[in-house]
Amino acid sequence: MSAARSVWTLWKKEMRSYAVSPLAYVFLGAFLFLSGLFFYLGVSLTGEASLRVLLANLAVTQLFVLPMLTMRHFAEERRQGTLELLMTAPVSLSSIVVGKWLASLSLCLLMLAGTFVFPVILAYYGDPDWGVMATSYLGLVGVSCGFSAAGLFASSLTDDQVAAGLLGIVILLPFWLVHQADALVPEAWVPSVQQFGVLQHLGSFQRGVLDSADVLYFVAFTFIFLFLTFRSLESRRWR
Amino acid sequence: MVEAIALSKSFGPTVALQDVSFSVGKGEIVGFLGPNGAGKTTTMRILTGFIPASGGEAKIAGFDVFESPMEVKRRVGYLPESPPLYPELTVGEYLEFVGELRGLSSRACRLRAGEVMERVGLRGWEARILGSLSKGYRQRVGLAQALLHDPPVLILDEPTSGLDPTQMVGIRTLIHDLAASHTVILSTHVLSEVEAICPRAVVIGRGRVLAEGTLAELKGKAKRGAWTLIEARGIDARALADTAGVDQIEPLPPADGWPAFRVMSRVDVREALIRRVGSVGGSVRAVEARLPTLEEAFIDIVGEEGVTLGRTG
Repeated sequence: MSAARSVWTLWKKEMRSYAVSPLAYVFLGAFLFLSGLFFYLGVSLTGEASLRVLLANLAVTQLFVLPMLTMRHFAEERRQGTLELLMTAPVSLSSIVVGKWLASLSLCLLMLAGTFVFPVILAYYGDPDWGVMATSYLGLVGVSCGFSAAGLFASSLTDDQVAAGLLGIVILLPFWLVHQADALVPEAWVPSVQQFGVLQHLGSFQRGVLDSADVLYFVAFTFIFLFLTFRSLESRRWR
Repeated sequence: MVEAIALSKSFGPTVALQDVSFSVGKGEIVGFLGPNGAGKTTTMRILTGFIPASGGEAKIAGFDVFESPMEVKRRVGYLPESPPLYPELTVGEYLEFVGELRGLSSRACRLRAGEVMERVGLRGWEARILGSLSKGYRQRVGLAQALLHDPPVLILDEPTSGLDPTQMVGIRTLIHDLAASHTVILSTHVLSEVEAICPRAVVIGRGRVLAEGTLAELKGKAKRGAWTLIEARGIDARALADTAGVDQIEPLPPADGWPAFRVMSRVDVREALIRRVGSVGGSVRAVEARLPTLEEAFIDIVGEEGVTLGRTG
């Protein structure tokens, strides 16, 4: 079977599982509620016709929401014994990983799409900078790609989904906190250490700058975590 | 069709399998017997490509499990020890997913799903949520899943565990019918199951093949050999032992008030026993020649230690 078809099969199954799981709806609801709150606060406090505050805060929200959405994937498969089904089917491990990742990413993009109501409101009452808004959203898509890959990796490490969720957050937090690295490392190192941080790269997207280095950062982030997921599943077969 | 050559597997310092070799021909049903923890599941997992062996070779339909896993996986239907079900899906959705996973087109999938559901007794259950099914039905869905892509080789890990007696008979009949066109390996610790459907068995214990052969050959390995059961009144074991040709006598628990004895001998002593009882004025209710059962053979092959383990499960 072609790899694309197995990815599609996995994607369909995962989307179906999301569609009937209460977890997805709870997070979708919470995410949209928080977005509404951030939008209101952002606009009323700054008086700007921009989504700056909203989109910056959504990135933080994703830090917590994405590991929760991905924690189920491999942890549950292992606990239910369905991993045995997947691994004895004629599909490659990489298409299983990619199928699952695309499914979590799709759900995440759906959440982001839910916030499109706010630009519409802004357009009605003011004159927002569409370019900045577009790159900001693009940055969030990058964050979604990377964070869901990291969450998937956490899920491949344990068969307890709650542990996987928390582990995902723990894995992601350093990439966030490294921005405040000046307190921890010698001053000369700060700029290079900060290069590892998500905020460093998300920042330019939010200023309306589209730099290939920042795009590359998120691509690499995603790729590395997907690769680690693959390796972790592969190595577990040997133990 | 299935060939294992000197398979071994260690999990860290624990040796799970050691030098396991056997082969299964096309169209054969072979029972995998052994107490719990003997290595049955590990062997099956290696054959299906779920885990790699630490040493040795496994081939299915001529393809090496390690070198061409995709070719092997296409040809094997596998029912793991606990049916691999997604509780949130319906029976229909689940079979559709498994079919597509195994490369069936969605039309072939629907067609085959209907066929196998009919076969395992799940007709009309498409819309049921897997999480709400009872153990017996979960087992049937597991079996349906293994049959879906019509693989030439079926590897079934305890296919009848958790079923009620009627369902058990149903599944055994099904497996028996499948053998006409499939090669089947099934593991079990229910010995009557092996007697019912497997002409040949491989006995595994402590990670090694302890015995292999037809059921008659395995029974021949029972240490006690053939014996005679006699139920008689008015005679004690010592007096009965005086009969010509009798080697040894063991009293058995009485059957509805009739004292019973196990008589060991190398020749047929039934007539001599009846005469002996008559000569002391006693009466006989039953005399029966007994062949060693598979259970006795199993106990002798696996050893007492293995049996106590086996009973716990």
